This record gives sequence, structure tokens and C-alpha cells, in this order.
Amino acid sequence: MAGAAPRVDCLAGFRCSTGGLAAGRPCVLALGAEVFLSTGSELVYVYDREARRPRAVYEFPGQVWHLELLTPRRALCVLCARKGVYCAPLDTPSRSVSQANGASKDDAPPSGVIPVGPDACILPDAALCAFTLLDNMLVTVAQGPATWKIQLFKRPCLGQDLRPAAQIGEVVFPTGAPLAGGPEEPPAPHFFPVLCYVSPPNSRAPHSRLQGPGGFTLQGVLFGLLFGADAALLESPVVLCGFPDGQLCCVVIKTLVNSWAAPGDPRALVRILHHLEEPIVFIGALRTEPWAPEAVGQELPGKDTHADCLVALGHHGRTLAIKAIEDEVGNLVPELREYRLPGPMLCAACGGGGRIYHSTPWDLCVVDLAQGIAPEGAMQPGLPPILCPAGLSICSVVALSVSPGIAKEDTELLVLSARGRLMACNLALDPTAACPARMTAAQAGRKIKDLLSGIGSISERVFSLKKAVDQRNQALMCLHEALDVSCALLSHQSSSPSRCSITTTWSRQLCNELMATCQLVNRGTHSLGPGWAWCIQVVAYARAFELDAAGTTTTYTVPVQQLAPGAQREVTLSLGFGEDGVPELPVTISCALFYSLREVMGGAFTPLGATEDPLCQALPLDLLPTRDGICLPLGMHTVGLLQCLRFPGLAVPGTQAARLTMLPTDPVDTFLRACHQQGSVLVGPATLRAKYLSPSVASIQVSAELLRAALDDACTGVPLCCATLWWLLAENAAVDVLRARALSSVQGVTPDGVDILLTVHEASRSLSSCSGVQQVVHQV
Amino acid sequence: MSQTPLDSPSPRASCLDLWREKNDLLVRQAKVTQDSGLLLRQQHLAQDALQGFRELLHSLRGLPAAISALPLELTVICNFITLKVSHTQGFTEDQAQDIQQGLERVLEAQEQLGPRLECGLRELWDSVLHISSLLPELLPALHHLAGLQAALWLSTDRLGDLALLLQSLNGSQSGASEDLLLLLKTWSPPVEESDAPLTLQDARGLRDVLLTASALCQGLQELITGTLPRALSSLQEAASGLCSRPVLVQVYTALGTCLRKMGNPQRALLYLVAALKGGSVWGPPLLEASRLYRQLGDTAAELESLELLVDALSVTQNSETPQLLIEVELLLPQPNPDSPLYCGTQSQAKHLLASRCLQTGRAEDAAEHYLDLLALLLDGLEPRFSPLPCPPGPCMPEVFLEAAAALIQANRAQDALTVCEELLIRTSSLLPKMPWSWEDARNGAKEPINCPLWVSATYLLQGQAWVKMGDQKEAVSEFSRCLELLFRATPEDREQGAASNSDQRCRPDVALQQLRLAALISRGLVWVASGQDTKALQDFLLSVQICPGNRDASFHLLQTLRRLDRRNEATAFWWRLEAQTELPPEDATWSLPLYLETCLSWIHPLDQETLLEEFRTSLLETSDL
Repeated sequence: MAGAAPRVDCLAGFRCSTGGLAAGRPCVLALGAEVFLSTGSELVYVYDREARRPRAVYEFPGQVWHLELLTPRRALCVLCARKGVYCAPLDTPSRSVSQANGASKDDAPPSGVIPVGPDACILPDAALCAFTLLDNMLVTVAQGPATWKIQLFKRPCLGQDLRPAAQIGEVVFPTGAPLAGGPEEPPAPHFFPVLCYVSPPNSRAPHSRLQGPGGFTLQGVLFGLLFGADAALLESPVVLCGFPDGQLCCVVIKTLVNSWAAPGDPRALVRILHHLEEPIVFIGALRTEPWAPEAVGQELPGKDTHADCLVALGHHGRTLAIKAIEDEVGNLVPELREYRLPGPMLCAACGGGGRIYHSTPWDLCVVDLAQGIAPEGAMQPGLPPILCPAGLSICSVVALSVSPGIAKEDTELLVLSARGRLMACNLALDPTAACPARMTAAQAGRKIKDLLSGIGSISERVFSLKKAVDQRNQALMCLHEALDVSCALLSHQSSSPSRCSITTTWSRQLCNELMATCQLVNRGTHSLGPGWAWCIQVVAYARAFELDAAGTTTTYTVPVQQLAPGAQREVTLSLGFGEDGVPELPVTISCALFYSLREVMGGAFTPLGATEDPLCQALPLDLLPTRDGICLPLGMHTVGLLQCLRFPGLAVPGTQAARLTMLPTDPVDTFLRACHQQGSVLVGPATLRAKYLSPSVASIQVSAELLRAALDDACTGVPLCCATLWWLLAENAAVDVLRARALSSVQGVTPDGVDILLTVHEASRSLSSCSGVQQVVHQV
Repeated sequence: MSQTPLDSPSPRASCLDLWREKNDLLVRQAKVTQDSGLLLRQQHLAQDALQGFRELLHSLRGLPAAISALPLELTVICNFITLKVSHTQGFTEDQAQDIQQGLERVLEAQEQLGPRLECGLRELWDSVLHISSLLPELLPALHHLAGLQAALWLSTDRLGDLALLLQSLNGSQSGASEDLLLLLKTWSPPVEESDAPLTLQDARGLRDVLLTASALCQGLQELITGTLPRALSSLQEAASGLCSRPVLVQVYTALGTCLRKMGNPQRALLYLVAALKGGSVWGPPLLEASRLYRQLGDTAAELESLELLVDALSVTQNSETPQLLIEVELLLPQPNPDSPLYCGTQSQAKHLLASRCLQTGRAEDAAEHYLDLLALLLDGLEPRFSPLPCPPGPCMPEVFLEAAAALIQANRAQDALTVCEELLIRTSSLLPKMPWSWEDARNGAKEPINCPLWVSATYLLQGQAWVKMGDQKEAVSEFSRCLELLFRATPEDREQGAASNSDQRCRPDVALQQLRLAALISRGLVWVASGQDTKALQDFLLSVQICPGNRDASFHLLQTLRRLDRRNEATAFWWRLEAQTELPPEDATWSLPLYLETCLSWIHPLDQETLLEEFRTSLLETSDL
């Protein structure tokens, strides 16, 4: 288990392409305080951790696929996609500019982009798909038609004129059969061979100790068992290749010669160690056995620090570990063990103490291959029977680099997230974890405390994650329902799931105001829940006939908190828009249901812990559509004059008083108003008009036949005039009273308080046989 | 017949003219590139030119196929293939596809493509050549393309198709002649018009290259199969053709091999000298010279040529600027170890030299050469010095053992001990036993399965070294360790030995038997030297039991019996020995590793025959009595 939770330090963010970094081949390399990093684009950044900013940026002519450092001479070796291997010196920025460019860019700022030209290409080959640097050699893998070609080059010298790397060996061997998945689907092209070189234990060659991430020194026993006596005798480095077809091969470097000199049998030169049956994404080596303290100081002090276990990881999580063990007879045999880790693997790295760090899109995990080893077991303890990955709660890591931390036992991971964020992750490993046998009570107590706090923080995290999941589920459900409702509404089905009806009434309590009552009925099967809002837009067209006078628009938004199927909701609005509360008719009322995505999804995407959960950050609210909702029109209703007529004469007793609606509750006020009315009879223009102007009369003649035909069903047994009047006032609140009395003429009051007489009568004196005349008398 | 725009004298700027100019420009650029010194720059330029041709071809294929545009299109295809093949140093499947597309375009222009879509290249060529007899303006470009097709088929060893194609090109009836060389000689590609689009390599040049390459290939093939007179004539044909210096060296070397095998060493030597004078590639002629001298029995000259070979191979071959043409080298198959043109690497040559010295009794030289070889292999920082002798040669532990044997032979026992210790240290992790069953069966690698054999051989050699240094106690203990290991390893190795019976070099069970014999006799001899004849007798008896017919073991046993004055047993044994000599000697088709042979030579009694004779007379005397 990993000790305490990692301390994560976000160093910098780098630009990444739209597909995220996982689409390219990002790399991270740490060298002292410098971090070399490529995000899969053409750029290689040199990040200075002390200054906490990028120190230089190199621009290569193609997408960077792989990155290695020539440590003694400080140069950057880069594989550019479909171009070849480039080598750029890494000196002081100004010098590197002059060297890499050769042009007059010496005065470029140090932080500027340093272009690396085609002259820096040491190995032009469009088919190259991987390389690694050995002491003084360059091993490359190129893909041919159904073949892999492993080539060995003498590493070119920097400084003087760059010459193409001289080839010193090559071998071509066939690719393995494509992995299962049917012949029709070609193997995923985004997998590339991975290379790793293994040095023999007591090699006399002056190895540069600062090996790249792909280099390991292997324990002698395992080296001999895996690669044979020749490699062991020659003390030859061995290159391990893991191919996308699942083959794990080894090539003994010293046996590789140019094929024109002495062509060898590729099957003898390239030996298949294993077939993982899924694309190999990582090869590494580990030290699983603890460094025996008594071995330190003996005649072979360095011997026991070599790696004693070789691991290979497949894309889908299949993991191979090879270790030398003694069989029953006492012979040393290689033990191969396959494990299944949760995939897909994005990247991996080997750390100290038998740990493999591997990254999946969901978490960065660590497994410990040393965990199964009992302290006083056999001489060659075997591999653990099962691996338990422990999560570090960092997800979507696409590139990984392990380096020893500041403290001796610590491990520092430099990770690059899929969104281009470079993070330093310090894993303070409890030193007591390494040797649990020798633990004092105090240590144990502290350990338990740590564990408990670890459990606490994990459970907290679990809780918050669970909450997030619930929220998302909820949002999904809401979305689903919303979609159902929308479909039903938009398809104009006869049984519309929601309906809105509008009636207008004159308010009795308030000061003689026209009120519209909107009623929303949910007839669907789903309840309208949070996120739904009921929008009522009221547009008054009173002065619409006036030029450039837009109607007054008022929108009311009523949240539909919860409207179960069959339930209904009513909203009453005032339609009094005018200065004096007199409505400006006609008024159009449109109703719509609005579904707010933001309200529903917003909660689900709220970052939980912004710093430690990049996945949550990966979906910012900005990604939601700019039109942040769905608007579903329910219907439109126009309120005209006819609807708003009041008929005091028809009113049932009790409502009679509404005729004079200025009936304030306060008696003093009533008195004052009465006085005012009487005293100012001659003052108002309306009164003047009423006094001196004759009433205006308007009449419309309509053919009685037509009317009869139109009102066919309504006027059976009723005089046509009555039926016409009913029809005219069909939407008025007084229509029922009207119907009861069978009137053909009615006296009413308009909303602005003007008396009106509606009369319908039949006449036969017109030009044609028009027999129905409907008179509307507007009396002032 | 449509008038091609190319024929029109006025320089109209039609698309075809533009494309043609682009082709000419690219060809000129490529030819200039060829002369520029910088290899890297040249590679870049070649890549650019390739890209240019590819784009041009793309443009041309955008138009419907038309007779007027086809000569240019075919020429561009030819140039593209030529450049691509010379750039990547070899033909691939892509070139076949390019050719096929070109042919299909010709048929498309004649609206005859329809039903022929699924037929192979052979049939395509038939129909195209059939049509093209009506289209004289297409012929030069078609012949050029046919030349490339011939090169492709030659390099992929489809000689039957090649012969048929050439027959069609020559307009001769099928079955007229199957002789490839004759067909190539009679093929005369039509001369291109002076105003035709430029080509990187014209059809006639290609024809000459094809002629030389096929003559050389044919000659080498016949040389390997042993039809020497035909090989000689083919190779002479190749030598008379136009070829570059490295190719001439190869031809002369092959001629030397051929003449040597025909029993003409002097003429062979002349060719080899000519090869050495001719070029910068000295490896194959020097190796051939050493074989020649070995056949002549001139050991000094043989070793001298081998030394020269080692020196020659230590010189790094400057990767000479490749010509952007299809050359003879591109069409030759990779030399396999059977080929006379195979000369191996420097370490292989060094090993050959050292082992020949050891075999010819020049122990001091052998020791020096072996030490050089080990240094070369182990300390080689420059990896070009350190390739292992490839699978035909011995594997690394055997090289160590041979080195130790040579050092003992050269009276450098202390050095031999050092070498042995080094070997033991380096393989110690693989001991005591190394089961190599897991993976070997799968990938078929001939990874040595005889680690116990090497380790016991190492003990044996250490014992011999102690014997040389006069330390009998150490010697006996080493021999005993050796025997212990040898007898312990028995059952396992029996199985493995039976499994690898097909191995031509040496069967491990035979080697195991001989090693036991050598160890027992060696220990017996130490006992004899220290005067413990009884113990010696046990060892000799055991050795005779292991290897009943072995004369050395029998002789040592006989001598010891005589020394112990066990006359009756000696007499009985002598009679048995006499009876065995009547039998034909055991069929010794297998060869033992050199180190083992050297070891066995040490336990070989020097004056065996005289002593036997002496014994016989004394025995007869006693019986007479």
C-alpha cells in the first residue's frame, strides 16, 4: 500500500490539442531541477522547477513521439513523427539558439521558441516508430510491410557537422499475427513499439550511470536465464522490445551486425520471450527483494541493488512479471507470472522498492511486487500471487516520470495529465512500511493513526464521489424525462401532456384590475420537476397601430417546483399596464415551458475538489450549450376587448358593487373619493366628452345566413341574435349569465370605464339580402 | 490516332507540359543531389524529390487515362520507382502495386480494363503488350516499366515470370528460349525520343544492369548447386558486362571459387589477385584466398590471408553515397553463409584465424589470436568490433574454451586458468544446471543446451592447466569436479541430446562421452605421474567401459596393467584390442568441438604403435615360453 496520500503540486499547465494529450505520445523526463516534456505536439518544453516556469521551448519539424536525453553532452534526442530522429544541443539558451538555428537569432529571448531545423536530423527515416539511446549507440525500430526492423546505429557526435548515424547492425523479423479482434479490424494504429534496454550486472563498459527511463541493470541470474549464456559472457546490453502485436522480444546488442556483412537468422537474433496477447505499453525492471543490510559492505556491494524482476504491461492491463527462482531441485528457473490489472493503461513507470506506477483514465495506481515476499523466506522468494493496485487519486495521467524525492525514502512522481497539467506528486512512503517486522509500538500507533486518517480521507472522497455520481444520475434521469416531455409537446400530439389555459377576470379585491388566470395542467405521465419553468409572456399591443411603438412585453417566469401527473397550477397575473392601471388591449399571452440545462446539469458538474480531481475540471460549465435551455411553446392566447367587458347589469347580486369598483376598504377614503367626484364634475376631459359629445356608434353588417351557418351548433333553438351575442362574448366571464337570459342586447363597461352597449338585431334593409345587423353602440 | 501534345513543337502551357516540366525538373534535381557530398543533405533531397514525384503522379492520375498523357505518366512512375528503390535500397510490394496501377491505366485508356481487373501482373503485362503493339508512342515508356518489372521479379526470384515477360517484350513465341541471359541480351528497348520526358535511368541502362545481375545470380546459384562449368560461363558473362567495382570484385571472387572447385587453383588465384587489385572490398577475395591456400596446403599463406582478412574487416566501410539508380547490388540476394561472397564479420574472421592456428599446431599464434578475439568481443566499446560469431560459428563459451585450450597448448597455463575463471564467473549464475526447455522449443533458437558440458570442460581445462604447472593435487581435484558434474548431468542430457540429433555440428551426447573419457584418462595420467597406479587403473578401466572401442583408453589401460604386472589381465585385454583393430574404425561423421579435440590430443599416447609392438613381442615371448 502506498503510505500517506500524495502531496500534489501543480507546476504548470501546457497547451494541449483538442483530443487531449492521450491522442499524441506525451513524454516527461526529469533531470535534476529540469523537466523535459512534450505534449505530443511539435514542441518540447524545458521546465525549470526552481524558477517554476518553462526555461526554453524547442520546436521540432514534426510531432514529437519520443524524447530522450544525451546526458553527458546535454542534448535532446527526439523522434519526430514520420521524419526521423533529431538531435538538438541543450546548452545555454542563447548558444542553443545559435547552434540549432545557425541563423541570426542569437538575440532571441531565452523563453522564446527555439526552432530545430532539418539540419539537426541525425536519422531521416519516415518509418521509424521508436528509439532508445544506449551508451554510445542508438537503437531504432522501424515498421515495414509486415515486418519490424531493429537497427543499431553508432551514436553521432554532436558539435561538428552532423553526419548521419552510421549503421552497425540490423535485423528484420516478421510481425506477429494480429491480435484477436477479427481480421477486419486492423490493429489499433496508435500503439507503438516500446523499447527498454537492459545492461548486464557487472559490465565493465563505462556506463553512464544516469540512465534514461528505458534503461535498467538486471541481476546476473535473471539476465543469464533470460538472454542466454552468450549475452552473459559477452556482457552485452540487451534491448527489449514490446510490440503492439503483443510480442515481447529481446535482442542481444553485440550479436547484431549489418546484414550485408553477416546476415543472421532473425529467429536467433530476436528471441521472443513472451507473448502478452495485447499491445505492450510498458517494459521495466524492478528490485523486489529488500536490500539486505548484511549484504552491504561485502565484496559485491553493488550486486544487490540490481533489478531482479522484469515487468511488461499490456494495454488492457495484462501484466507480466519474470523473476528467477529456485525450483524444487534447486535449479534456477525463470518464473513467469501474469496478472490482470484494471486497464486501459495510459502509461507506467517503475519506482523503487518493487513498485509499479501505472495510470488509467480513472486513477494513478501503484502495485507492489515486493509485497508477497516474507522477510525470512527462501533465498529466492517468488512473485506475489496477486497484485492489489492502490489508487493515488490522480486520474488521466498520460506521462509519468519517477524520481527519488527529497527525503531518502520518498518517491516523487512527475505526471502530465491529459489536460496538459504538469504535477509533482510526492509520495512520502512510511519507512516502516518497508519492513513491518521491526516496528515499535509507537511506530505502530502512528501507523494506525495514519491509516485511520487515510481511511477517513478516502471515505470522504468516496462519499463525495458517490454524491457526484448520484447527482449525475439524477441529472440524467431529469434529462431523460425532459426529453420525453419535449418530444410529446413538439410532436403536437392530440393528447398533449401539458396544457395551459387562460381566463381573464376582473379582480374584486384589488383596485378594479384586469387579471388573467393561467392554469397549467400536467396530463403527461412524468411529473414536471426541478429545472422546468413556466414562462408567461404578456405583450400588449395597445399602441401597435402607432408607428415605431413596440408593444410592452412582460415576461413572468414561474418555477414549476413539482407538478405531478394530473396536477395543475394556477397563476394569476395583472394585465393592468397603463399608467392608471388600465390595460392596453389587446394583450397576447403566450405560455411556454422552459427547461434549464444549467439548473439540472450544473449541479452535476460542479467541481468537487478542483485541485485534485482533474476529471471534474475536464468538463467545465463552458462546455454546456450557450443556449442553456429548451423552450417548448404551449400556446398563445389573445385577450381582446370583448373578453374584458364587464356587464354590471347582468351581475348577480353581490357582485353588483363591482360596478363601482372604486370601493376602497377605508371608509374615509370612500368619502373623500365621493366628494372629489362630485366636486370635480367639470374638470376631467372624459366627463366633458361625456357631457357634450354624442355617443359614438359603430355597426357591422354580416349576412345572417353566414352567421347562421357559422354558429350552427350554438344557435339551435336560440334566436340568432342571442347566439351571435353569446359567440361574441364567448370568452367573457359573463357569458354564462348571458346564456341564462337569452339577451340580444347587453350594456357593459369597457376596461377604461366607458359604457358600451352591444346590440345584435336582424335587419333586412341592406343592399343585398343581408339580414343580420349587429350593432355595437359605443356610448360615451 | 490522337496527336499528343508532347509532339507539338510550340511550347503551349497546357497541364501536361507543366507536369512534364516538373518531372524534368525533379529528375535534374535528383541528379544534382547525387553529386552533392553531404549524405544527410542528399537523403533529405531524395525524400523531397520522392514527395515531388508522388504528388506529380497523383495529379496525373486525377485525369482519366488517355493515350496522350500516358507516356508522361508511365515515365513518372518509372522515375518514382527508381528513386524509391534506390532510396530504400530494395524492392517492396509497393513497387508491384505502382506497376500494376500503371498497366491498368494503359488498359483503361483503351477501355479494356473491365473484365481484367482481378488478374495478376503477368496477365496484365500480356494484355498491355498485346495492345501496345498498336500504340508505338507508348512503347519506350512501357519497355522502361517492363525493365523495372524485370528487376522486381529478379530480386524476388520469380524467374519464370521474368522469362515470359522478356519473351513477350522480344515478340518471340513462348517457349522459344528459356535462357534468361539470352533473352535479356536480345531484348532491345526502343530508343526514346530526344524530346521525351527525362528519366533517371533509361531502359537500356536498366537492361545492362539486369544482364549483369542475372548473370551473377545465376552463376552463384550454379556454383552452390555444383554445376561448375555453367557457373563459370555465367560468371564470365557477368564479368564481361558493365559493372561497378564492388560488383566486379564479387564476380572475380565467385570466379575464383568456381575455378578452385574445378581444380584450377592457379587461374583462381589470378582472378583473386585481380579482385584484390580492383576494389575497396577485400573481404570475400581474401577469405576465398585462404580457402584456396588451405586446399593447396600452404598453411603460411592461408594464415597470412586470414590475417589480412581480419585487418580488412576492421576498416569501417565508408557508406559510399548511394547512387539514385537501380544498381546490380540491389538485385543480388543477401549472401548467406553458403555463398562464396559471404565473409562474415571481423570477429568471425579472427576466430577462423585463431582456430586454424590451433588446428595447424601454431599454438603460440593461436593463443595470441584468441586473446585478441576475447578482447575484441568483451571490451569492444565500439560495437562494430564486437559482433558475436553468428550461429554457424561456435558460441561464446566454446570460444572461451578454445582460448583456454590454445593457451595451455602454448604453455601459458596461468593465462588459461584466468580465462577459465572468467568463464566460470560469468556463467556462475547459470549453474549448476541450466534447463533451457522453456521457450527454446517455441522459437527454435539453437541456444546451447549444454551448459553442464561447458562447465565440466572448463574444469577439465583447469585440471590440464594445473598439470602443466605441475600441481597434481589441484589437477586431480579439478578433474574430479569435472567428472562429478559430468556424471550428474547424465540423464537430463541424454534426453536433450536425443532431441537435438539433427544438429549437424556436434551431438551433445557424443561430446559428453568424449569429455568423460578425456577427464578419466587425464586423471588417470595424473595418478600415473604421482605413482598411484591402482587409482590410475580404476580410471582407465572406467574409461574403457565408457568408450569400449577407444584406442587411447585401451592403450593406457594396457600400459598400466603391464606396469602393475597384472600380466594375465593385460594379455586378455590385448587380445580383445587386437580383435577390435580388425574391425573397421567407427564411423566418425560427427565432429567434436575444437577445444575437446585439443584436449583429446593431449591424452594421446605419443609412441603408441612402437609400444604396442613392443608389448606384442614381449607377449609372444612369454607365450612362447
